[in-house]
Amino acid sequence: MDMTGEYRIAAPRDVVWHALNDEDVLRACIPGCTELERTSDTELSAIVVQKIGPVRAKFAGDVELTNINPPASYTIQGEGSGGVAGFAKGGADVTLAADGNETILSYVVNATVGGKLAQIGSRLIDSTARKLAAKFFDNFQAHLNENQPDKAG
Amino acid sequence: MTDGIGARVARKEDKRFITGKGKYTDDIRMENQAYAAFVRSPHASAKVTGIDASAAEAMEGVIAVHTGPELKADGIGDIITGWAITSKDGNPMQCGVWNPMVTEFARYVGDAVAIVVAESQDLARRAAEKVSVSYDELPATVFADHALETDAHQVHENVPGNLIFNWEIGDEEKTDAAMSGAHHVTQIDITNNRLSPNAMEPRSAVAVYDEAEDHYTLYTTSQNPHVARLVLSAFYQVAPEHKLRVIAPDVGGGFGSKIYIYPEEIACLWASMKTGRSVKWTSDRSEAFMTDAHGRDHVTTAKMGFDADGKIVGFHVDTIANIGAYVSLFATATPTYLYGTLWSGTYDIPAIYGTVRAVHTNTVPVDAYRGAGRPEATYMIERMMETAAREMGMDPAELRRRNFVKEFPYQTQVLLQYDSGDYDALLDMAQDAANVSGFAARKAEAAGRGKLRGIGYSTFVEACGLAPSAAAGSLGAGVGLWESAEVRVNPVGTVEVLTGCHSHGQGHETTFAQLVADRFGLPIDSVSIVHGDTDKVQFGMGTYGSRSGPVGMSAVMKALDKVEIKAKQIAAHVLEASEVDIVIEGGEAKVAGTDKTMGWHEVGLAAYTAHNLPEGMEPGLKETSFFDPVNFSFPSGALICEVEVDPDTGVTEIVQFTAADDFGTIINPMIVEGQVHGGITQGIGQALHEGVVYDDSGQLLTGSYMDYQMPRAADVPSYTVSHGCTPSPNNPLGLKGCGEAGAIGAPPAVINAIIDAIGTDNLQMPATPQAVWTALQSAKMPMAAE
Amino acid sequence: MNNVKMTVNGKAVSRDVPDTTLLSEFLREDLRLTGTHVGCDTSQCGACVVHVDGRAVKSCTTLAASLDGADVTTIEGIANGGDLHPMQAAFNTHHGLQCGFCTPGMIMSGIDMVNRFQADGKDLTEEAIREELEGNICRCTGYHNIVKAIEDAAGTMADMAKAAE
Ligand code: FES
Ligand code: FES
Repeated sequence: MDMTGEYRIAAPRDVVWHALNDEDVLRACIPGCTELERTSDTELSAIVVQKIGPVRAKFAGDVELTNINPPASYTIQGEGSGGVAGFAKGGADVTLAADGNETILSYVVNATVGGKLAQIGSRLIDSTARKLAAKFFDNFQAHLNENQPDKAG
Repeated sequence: MTDGIGARVARKEDKRFITGKGKYTDDIRMENQAYAAFVRSPHASAKVTGIDASAAEAMEGVIAVHTGPELKADGIGDIITGWAITSKDGNPMQCGVWNPMVTEFARYVGDAVAIVVAESQDLARRAAEKVSVSYDELPATVFADHALETDAHQVHENVPGNLIFNWEIGDEEKTDAAMSGAHHVTQIDITNNRLSPNAMEPRSAVAVYDEAEDHYTLYTTSQNPHVARLVLSAFYQVAPEHKLRVIAPDVGGGFGSKIYIYPEEIACLWASMKTGRSVKWTSDRSEAFMTDAHGRDHVTTAKMGFDADGKIVGFHVDTIANIGAYVSLFATATPTYLYGTLWSGTYDIPAIYGTVRAVHTNTVPVDAYRGAGRPEATYMIERMMETAAREMGMDPAELRRRNFVKEFPYQTQVLLQYDSGDYDALLDMAQDAANVSGFAARKAEAAGRGKLRGIGYSTFVEACGLAPSAAAGSLGAGVGLWESAEVRVNPVGTVEVLTGCHSHGQGHETTFAQLVADRFGLPIDSVSIVHGDTDKVQFGMGTYGSRSGPVGMSAVMKALDKVEIKAKQIAAHVLEASEVDIVIEGGEAKVAGTDKTMGWHEVGLAAYTAHNLPEGMEPGLKETSFFDPVNFSFPSGALICEVEVDPDTGVTEIVQFTAADDFGTIINPMIVEGQVHGGITQGIGQALHEGVVYDDSGQLLTGSYMDYQMPRAADVPSYTVSHGCTPSPNNPLGLKGCGEAGAIGAPPAVINAIIDAIGTDNLQMPATPQAVWTALQSAKMPMAAE
Repeated sequence: MNNVKMTVNGKAVSRDVPDTTLLSEFLREDLRLTGTHVGCDTSQCGACVVHVDGRAVKSCTTLAASLDGADVTTIEGIANGGDLHPMQAAFNTHHGLQCGFCTPGMIMSGIDMVNRFQADGKDLTEEAIREELEGNICRCTGYHNIVKAIEDAAGTMADMAKAAE
C-alpha cells in the first residue's frame, strides 16, 4: 500500500520539526501508542495496539530515523511484530516546507502487512492506514495548539 | 431389481449424516488426548535465525514444543512427490527439499516452524503465539510468469532459475510446419486462476502412539488412507507399515486436497511418540487457506492453426505452471500427463506440440484440484475455439462440430487413445435441452431490460482412472494405479465389500452395494461397504481422478465374478444339478427350468458349514481381486451456459445452465447428477468468483471467506442435466467416471457466454463484476483500425 | 467461569464454562454433540447452525455463557424418536447431501426458514430459498438438490401443520 498526503500545520517549521523528533509528542499522537522509548539518537522502540478489521494486535517494534535533514525532512522507518496476528512494516518520507508562519508537511508512506493481518484484514489496510494518518495529524495539530499558548493567544 | 445398476437408490449412508451422527476426524476424542497447534511463518521467504519457546513451555498445560531440526534429527524423512518428470533435454526434474517443518528457510506464508502440544486446543494455540521466532526476511518470488525471470529470487538452492522441469509433448516439427501452412492462426494468452479447494471439513489428524506395541494409529481426513500409510512409512520413516494403521473415517469433502500427506500429520504422529500422548490437530479455515494445497495457476500462450474450411491443422501450447514452494504428491503429474495429454480435446487435431515449464515460487504448494490438469486443458481449448470462431466469423458450435473426433477408438497426437464417444450427439442433446433456437428471442427480451445476454459453449473429453499401471510407471509414476476389492459373503448371506477406494461424499456405501444387489438380487440393506481403514482393507489407491467407478467398481465386479462362480458350484452340488444350469437372482440360486432353489443365505451357510461341498473345495465364500485397467476411460460432455450481464455494474447472472454428459454406464443416476451439479458449481466458482490472491511480497490476501468468494446458493441456478451413453470398453461395467466432469467443462462455458454477451474476449478468470465492467469499457473504446 | 444452565434437545444441562467458550465448542466438546460442525472462523459457512429458542443461530459466534436459560436444539434433537424430521427425510430423498459436513447446518437453516415463512404466510419460492441460504456454504452439492429438498420439506411441514390444526 502506498499513500501520500499533505497537511498544513498552524505552527512554524522549527516547532514542527522539533515536535516530530520528540518522543513524548510522538507517543501522545500516534494512535494506539502505549510505549515509545528512545534507544539511540536515531532509534526508538515502540508498542502500539491496533485493530485492523477483525484482528486486534499489540505490535512491538523498532523505529529508525534516517535521511535526517533538519528541519526539512527525514525518513521514519518501522517494523512491528504482532505475534500470530502477523507483522506490519513501513516507512514514511516526511518533508516540511515553511509557508510563512505555518508549515506544509507532506509525506509518502508505504506500508505492508503480513501473516493473519494480510489474510483477513488486507481489504481494510488502506482505509485503516488513512484513518490512522488522519488521526495522527489531528492529534499532532491539537498537541501543537495546546503547547503554543503564545500563538494561540 | 429395484436396488440394482441404474436405479435411483436413496443413499444408505445419509442416515448418520442427517441425524448428526457422522463420524469425522475432529469428532474423535481419545483418552489421554492432547492438542497440537503450529507456529507458522508470517513471511513468504525468510531464514529462521532463532526460536525461543521458553515462554510457551513455561505455560501451565503446555506439554512440549518441538521444531523442524528436532524432527529431522529423529530421522523423519522429507516430503516426496509421486511422479518423476523428465525435461525435454532429457534431464530429470529438480525439486526443492521439503522438510515437514522448517529446518532453516521458511518458503511460504504458513510454512510450519514448530509444533506446540498442550492440554487443550485453545491452550495450544495461545502457546503457539508465545513462541518467538526470529526471521531474516528474504526476497520472495510469487508469480508463475515472474519465477523464470533473471531477477527472481531463487526459492531453493538446488533449483536454478526456479525451473523444476521443462516438459514437452507432441511433434514440434510437424506442428510448426502445419502452423506455417495454416490459413488462419488464432492466438490466446490466458491465465488459469489459482484456487483453494475448500472442502467444508477442515483437515484434521489424531495420532495415537501405543508404546507397549510400538504401534501408531492415525485418524485423518484422507481420500486415500493406504497411500498415506505407504508414504508415511516408506518415505517419512514414521513407522514400518505393519506398525502403522491409518483410518480415514467420514471425510467431509476433498476435491483433491485430501489426497496428499501433509506436514501436520507427520508432525502429529511423531509428537505422539515424543510426548506419549494422543495428539490431535484440527485446522481452522485460515490455516486451510494457508496450507491446503491450492489448485491450477497456469499462464499459457496457445496458437491454433485452421485451414480455409475451419478445420484445425495444428495446435501449439506454451504453459508456465506454478508449483509453489514445494513439490506436492501429484503436483508434477497434474500439469503434464493430466494436462498436455488432453490438448486434443474433443477434436481431431493432426499436429500438436507444446511445453510446460513448472516453477517454484514462495507460495503454498499447488497440486491436483477437482479435474487436475483437465480443466486447464479444457479451458484453454474451449476459449480457443470461441475466439477462433469469432475471428473467422463462424458459429462456435459449428466450428466445434466441424472438428469433432467422430471415429473411435481415436489416437490423439498426445499419447492418449480415446475409447468411445459421440460428441455430436451430446452437443445435439445439450442444444435441444438449452433451447438454443430460442436464444435470439431471449437475448432481445433481455436487451429490453437493459441486460446483455450471451450464450457460451464448452465441449470436453477427460481421462479418468489413470491406467494402466505399467504405462504410468514408464512415464514416471511412483505407484501402481489399480484397485483392489474383497467380497465377503457371511454365513447368513449378508455381504461385505472391502474396497481400497474411499468415499468423501461420493456415496460409495450405496453405489458399491448396488453392484452386489444387482448381481445376486439381494436387498441393498444386506450389503455393507468397508473402506477407509488400512487394518481392514488390504490395500488400495483411494478416491481421486474419478477412478472409484471405472477402477474401484471394476475390482468389485471381478471379485463378484469369482464369488458367483463358487456360489454356483456350491449350489449345483447341493441341488444336484450342473453348474451351468444355476442362475442366481432374487436372492436365490435356482436350477434353470426347474423349481429347485436354495436361498442365498443357504448358499452362504453351506460354504461355511462345509458339510456338503464339492470335493476338494475350500470352505468359505470370500474372494479378492485386483483390477488394473488396460486404459483410461474417457467421459465427455457438452455444456451450454446462458448469462445476463448488467452493463452498468458488470454483474453476471447465470440464467441457464445445461449439461449433456457421457459417463458410459451409470450405476445411480441420482448420485451422478449430484456429482455433476457440484462440479458445475465449482466450475462456476472458478469462472466468476474464486481466486487466491498473493501480494507481490507473497502475503496471502484471500485468507477467509470474506475475501475468497465461494459460490453460494443464490449465485447459481438449478441445472438441466442429461446423459448420453457410449460404454467404455476398458472395464467390465462400461463406466467412465463422473466426479470431475462439471468442474472441467463449466469454466469455459461461463466465460464464453460472458464473451458472447459483452463482445470482447479480453477477459480472465475470475470474471468478477469489476473484471467484466473493465472489459466492457475497453471494448467500448473506438478501435483504431475501424 | 460461569455456570450455565440450558435445555439442550429437551434435556436440562448445567456446566461451568469460561467466558470465552463458544456455543459450538460447548456443544461439541462439553456435551459431545458433534453433529454441529465448524467449517470456518469468520461466521460465514453455516455448518454450525443450531436453534436457540426456536431461531437459527450460528453457534460459532454465540458465547455459551450468554445463553443461560436458553432452549437449544441441535441436529441430534430434531427427529422425533425413530421418525426423521421431514427436512431430514427430504435431504435423503432428494440427495441433498454428499459429504454431509454442511448438512446439519443446512437442515437447521432449512427448518428455520420454513418456519418463518409459514408463520408469516409467505411463499417459500426457489428464489427465496436460495436467498435464505446466504449464510450456508456447501462445496459438494451445487445447492440444486438442497433447494429441492427444502422445497419438498416445506410442503410436508405445511401439511403437518394443517393436520395438527
Ligand atoms: S462455523 Fe459457524 S459460520 Fe462457519
Ligand atoms: S455436502 Fe459436502 S459440503 Fe455440503
